[in-house]
Amino acid sequence: MLNITRRRGERIVLGDDVFVSVLEVSGQTVRLGIEAPRSVRVYREEIWLEVKRENEAAAHAASAALPNITAPLKADSGPQNTSGTVVNRTPPPAS
Amino acid sequence: MALAIESTRFGHVEIDPETVIEFPDGLIGLGGSRYALLTGDPGSSIVWLHCIDDPTLSLPVTDPHRFFSDYQVELTDEDGERLGLDDSTSVDVYVTVVAASELSAFTANQKAPILIWNGRGHQIINQAPGCDLRAPLFAEVLSARSGPDPADA
Repeated sequence: MLNITRRRGERIVLGDDVFVSVLEVSGQTVRLGIEAPRSVRVYREEIWLEVKRENEAAAHAASAALPNITAPLKADSGPQNTSGTVVNRTPPPAS
Repeated sequence: MALAIESTRFGHVEIDPETVIEFPDGLIGLGGSRYALLTGDPGSSIVWLHCIDDPTLSLPVTDPHRFFSDYQVELTDEDGERLGLDDSTSVDVYVTVVAASELSAFTANQKAPILIWNGRGHQIINQAPGCDLRAPLFAEVLSARSGPDPADA
């Protein structure tokens, strides 16, 4: 890992168009300012990591556990009908 | 001409090119640049977001408004600008679903919804308060079912 020491007000440049500024240093906390093109997505690592993990968990869960994905697949033809009901997706209530 | 994928989950699947959704940034941490929504059952509330370029990559997703009556999506100003979205844009919203053996253990990620409009998709971080990374998907349905009159559910 590249290791760079910076003081408050100094910056580093990633490539030609991403600038990271040290705005404030206070105890254990550093405030950074990030200037990047709009196309660059910037996340706090812990948020990025938890979403990545949920995406992976969704992709790897056993499909047999999913209800009603049994008929031959076809491409969804448009937006979902949000007026539909979900009650037929659960087992009938015990009577 | 139909696109075909040899899905490791579903086998041979033909996809109408009209339904392909471009994901310029892929899904967070997963990548993929072209996906399609697949369903085995037109009435199904859970559909599959299947990567076209990676036959091993598919995720179950659903319309969160079906399950979470007060669900909202709020973008940061930066994301709104980056995606060219404002309040007047009509988008389809999906959340990823983690399946389980029991319906009560299914969860949906309210924090990182997938927005789809005009053939493009983006997964964003939802700024709306109270969003859960693992929200029990069927909680509202099941609690309605266990109420005094299930017929009203």
